[in-house]
Amino acid sequence: MKILNVYRSQPDEKTKKLVEIVNRDRESDTFELFVDNPDYDILVEKIFAADKTICWW
Amino acid sequence: MEYKKALIIIRNKDYALDGMRSALGLAVENMYSYAHLLDTEIDKLDDNNQDRLEMLRDMEGEVYTNVQSNVDQNGLEFMSIEELGEKLREMDVIVPYGII
Amino acid sequence: MAKSLGIFVTNPHVMHHVMGVTKAAKAKGSKVKIFFTWTATHLAKDPQFPELCKIADDVAICVDSYVNMGYSADDVPEGLKKEKMATQTQHGLIIEDYDCYLNL
Repeated sequence: MKILNVYRSQPDEKTKKLVEIVNRDRESDTFELFVDNPDYDILVEKIFAADKTICWW
Repeated sequence: MEYKKALIIIRNKDYALDGMRSALGLAVENMYSYAHLLDTEIDKLDDNNQDRLEMLRDMEGEVYTNVQSNVDQNGLEFMSIEELGEKLREMDVIVPYGII
Repeated sequence: MAKSLGIFVTNPHVMHHVMGVTKAAKAKGSKVKIFFTWTATHLAKDPQFPELCKIADDVAICVDSYVNMGYSADDVPEGLKKEKMATQTQHGLIIEDYDCYLNL
């Protein structure tokens, strides 16, 4: 199970806690959407490579 | 046939009722569907929204919350953030809903 | 063959992300469906929305949400087919029929 965690904003403590539990003992990757000019091409590649994508607030 | 499981996480009062409506929408589509009001206190549900909650429960869904007043006032089921995290591990679809 | 991608939009401030992801996925040959609900139905009035309807394979909005946001159900957003002013069933279709799921 490979999880991709995408962040629309800098994750707060609550989000970090949920991500930590969801990721436990699993392969995971991240993508930050809140940076200037996110590379959507890389994001789509990561989505296609993951079993599940979660886009956090 | 294996039914998918989805959980909608709501952290903003203005998105609470629609998030719950979305959960019901997925239950109608034959999914196990849940919502969680995380740190989000809502007013007493009107009859229409109470009916939606009951419909969701009839289809084995639930609306959880870690806010005690939501439990006391609206009969939602209490679930801590740690328990929510564990529940999320079982889900096929996780929807952090709307904005914070 | 590229995987298909369904996008569920609940945030009213993410049109740039919706456009960016859709363009990138289409460039890879992916089939893309997008469904907007609640406050995100305001994005149906975004200047980029007609272009989104052209490049994506399927675009739909929740008509109940759209009316709740103050628009008339007869006011079909530019680029959208009237029958795509629809219900939450569209969200279920994204989950069931598409390989990958993204909420924005």
